[in-house]
Amino acid sequence: MTTENNFVIEVDHLTVSYHARPALLDVSINIESDQLVGVIGPNGAGKSTFIKAILGFVKPDVGVVKINGKSAQKAKGEVAYVPQRGAVDWDFPITVEEVALMGRYQQIPWYTSPAARDREAAFEALKMVRMEDFAKRQIGELSGGQQQRVFMGRALAQGSDILLLDEPFAGVDAATERAILEVLERAKQAGKTLVVVHHDLSTAAEYFDKLILIKQRLYAYGPPRLVLREDLLSKVYEGRLRIFSDVLAKEES
Amino acid sequence: MYDLFIAPLTETYFQKALIGGSIVALVAGVVGCLVVLRRMAFLGDALSHAMIAGVAGGYLVMKMLFGLEAHAPGMLLGSLIAAVTTVALISFVARISRVKEDTAIGIMYTGIFALGVVAVSIFRHYIHIDLMHFIMGDILGVADSDLWVSAFTAALVLSVLILFFRHFQIATFDPIMAASIGLPVLFLDYVLTICVSLVVVSAVSMVGVILVVGLLITPAASAYLLSDRLDKMMWLAALFGVTSVIGGLYLCVWLDSAGGGAIMLFCTLQFLVVLLVAPKYGVLARWQRMHNLIPQQQVEDILTTILRYGKPTPMEVIVQYVEQDKGLKKALESMIDDGLLTQAAESFSLTEAGDKEAQKVLKAHRLWEAYLESIGTPKEELHPTAHHLEHISDPNTVDYLDEKLGKPVRDPHGQTIR
Ligand SMILES: Nc1ncnc2c1ncn2[C@@H]1O[C@H](COP(=O)(O)OP(=O)(O)O)[C@@H](O)[C@H]1O
Ligand SMILES: [Mg+2]
Repeated sequence: MTTENNFVIEVDHLTVSYHARPALLDVSINIESDQLVGVIGPNGAGKSTFIKAILGFVKPDVGVVKINGKSAQKAKGEVAYVPQRGAVDWDFPITVEEVALMGRYQQIPWYTSPAARDREAAFEALKMVRMEDFAKRQIGELSGGQQQRVFMGRALAQGSDILLLDEPFAGVDAATERAILEVLERAKQAGKTLVVVHHDLSTAAEYFDKLILIKQRLYAYGPPRLVLREDLLSKVYEGRLRIFSDVLAKEES
Repeated sequence: MYDLFIAPLTETYFQKALIGGSIVALVAGVVGCLVVLRRMAFLGDALSHAMIAGVAGGYLVMKMLFGLEAHAPGMLLGSLIAAVTTVALISFVARISRVKEDTAIGIMYTGIFALGVVAVSIFRHYIHIDLMHFIMGDILGVADSDLWVSAFTAALVLSVLILFFRHFQIATFDPIMAASIGLPVLFLDYVLTICVSLVVVSAVSMVGVILVVGLLITPAASAYLLSDRLDKMMWLAALFGVTSVIGGLYLCVWLDSAGGGAIMLFCTLQFLVVLLVAPKYGVLARWQRMHNLIPQQQVEDILTTILRYGKPTPMEVIVQYVEQDKGLKKALESMIDDGLLTQAAESFSLTEAGDKEAQKVLKAHRLWEAYLESIGTPKEELHPTAHHLEHISDPNTVDYLDEKLGKPVRDPHGQTIR
């Protein structure tokens, strides 16, 4: 039943908990290929956990995650990932080109060093995100948007068809947000599926083909106009309706 | 000269100390880089303290079962077991109780250290371990067997770290990605812990339980201040480890002091020097940067002066309008470097980016003026007050003022805002 369709990510009855407290509860979702999918929900809703479960980094209590029809634990390297900014040690002694090169590590056998071919691929990836001029910089010496782009370059260097991004737009200015979005759309055009955690409801409808609304449970998955509904949002964002009253207005017009 | 530098080199004890110490310090520096980056420094301390119980246990078992006195491999194995047990206990306690990891580390290593001390004293008739020697180390009395053990350990640990350099790098930097490409992150953690244990065990006989953690982290921390790449950091840390041993040993013979202490003292002084003079992350460099910082306010004043003047602006005009004319030349130069200004003959003009920036400040200035007028500020105070406030020009503030004033088109002097 799973191999005949074009779902690239299949999540079936997924529950993930930390210390007996579920971060995700009974989440089932099938994501089609070639789309830009946004994941929205309040702080602590389990968005990062959802991403980590797709990566196979956290072990589900129950449920299965399948990537291209294979179990997530087996589908190593078919999913590339851009971490949340706060999760990175920006003082780490590593340069931009080395981060991009990490995208190639899976292809390099353990007994050899990265070949010229790998370095070229990494550099190409940096060019795609327009970061080639910063190749020798230490990663802490970049602006927030540039840092985000370096990690996107790394994900592109991996060559995976599925990209997961955890809050790439957090803490960047409007112009940078545009630049990042442009890279995402180009990746989509190149046939990639992108799942992006996003915190800004007011731009969600404009940026994404589909939205996933979660808060521990899955509240909705579908095109923005079906997800950004007042009844759903008020349930998830309890009493903070004012913030997205304009979102709803925008949707209606 | 000869007496100071060459004479000690002819002594066997000094040669052995130099060779043994250098081997240990070199590998400790390399492993120490990962320890520092993973914030595991405390672990080195815990391992060295736990070791005494392992050594006592190993000694006792080998003697009871095989009748072997002070069997070095047996004691080494005992230390390793004690080290790994300590690590396991620490993570167990931290996981199952509300006690946090740092406390768990403190409890476990003092506990196991105490166990070792008590065991050594109870069985003092069977096992002959000099506690003082253990705690302070004895680099000047390095035995040949110690040399072999540390050479073997160093070769093993270095091989593992060099062969799997990329694995350790990525598992330290981004464990989630490491796992996602199929690396055994947890297993790598164990391997690293065992490497650290091996290094600690071989270093304790030279510098002692208390100082061993310094040998692990201080050279690595010095290297951290000087490098932006992990491989370079490891090379430097190895170098600093070796120089600490060489410098420390000379210090020790010149001052006739304890060997381990002299080495760590030299190592720490070395760190302090690096901390002071490191070109990028050093204290002096930082101070220099702060000193060279051009105040944003001055930059903005220069920009708006040129914008208001409307044509290439000579220096004399800028001096009149910019409040702080201290360091004005430097500010202008740095703005040219930043692509905000161009200089032709003795006059300055705005580049496109400079113009955009200037417009932003000017808009803020006019909005602030409009705002000040709306709250009843006397006319003659409008301009000077707004001149100070214009530097508060972040998008949030500007949008707020704009909203609040109902998006005015003209300011109180009749000039256009947008
Ligand atoms: N490593 C962890 N250990 C314990 N609890 C965690 C851990 N990671 C996340 N949580 C908890 O799980 C919930 C979901 O977290 P997360 O997935 O990070 O949410 P989001 O990314 O939507 O803000 C939160 O309540 C958080 O406190
Ligand atoms: Mg998160």
